[in-house]
Amino acid sequence: MNCRIVVATVMLIAGGAIELVAVLGLCALRDLYDRMHYVGLAGFGALLVAVAIVFRESFSLIGDKVLLVGVVLVLSGPVLVHTTLRSMLIRQHGDWRKNIEKAQENDPR
Amino acid sequence: MNEWEIAATVLGFALIPCVLVCVLSPPAHGLVALEIAGVLIATILMLLSEGFHRQPFVDLAVIVAPLSLVGSLTFARMMERHL
Repeated sequence: MNCRIVVATVMLIAGGAIELVAVLGLCALRDLYDRMHYVGLAGFGALLVAVAIVFRESFSLIGDKVLLVGVVLVLSGPVLVHTTLRSMLIRQHGDWRKNIEKAQENDPR
Repeated sequence: MNEWEIAATVLGFALIPCVLVCVLSPPAHGLVALEIAGVLIATILMLLSEGFHRQPFVDLAVIVAPLSLVGSLTFARMMERHL
């Protein structure tokens, strides 16, 4: 068996397993902030799958686009997590920046 | 079925819990499920493209990945106050 096929299969299984773990975490954990951890993890699973396809196809038309998608998904994970957490924080506690400005105004120093 | 199609099928079934969380949980939890489902859908399209050797599937994945990011960001922004 070709070495590239073996590496591609291993990375495919690893990527798929990471995405399944992300879905499992989404179902198993009950708290919103716990669940948010798995958004970034799913992106890394997608990148592993993309690398597996590149190993199989090399840098063909499909390989290049798949790598682009994998990189976009990995980079979008932290952005999504940060934006969602910020929104939920504002939704639950209001805009915290106003409290910081008030505290600075009241500070005698 | 080759290994790519099998992986796409498995990840397709993994979409079901995401849909259930979207439907049954509060909106904030549904947003998290939507974000994970977007990644899953893009991955499934990549796998189908490789499995069937059809390039249009990967073109769909190229479109779905940024659109899912934009959609999730919009929902997150709207959920600050309005939803």
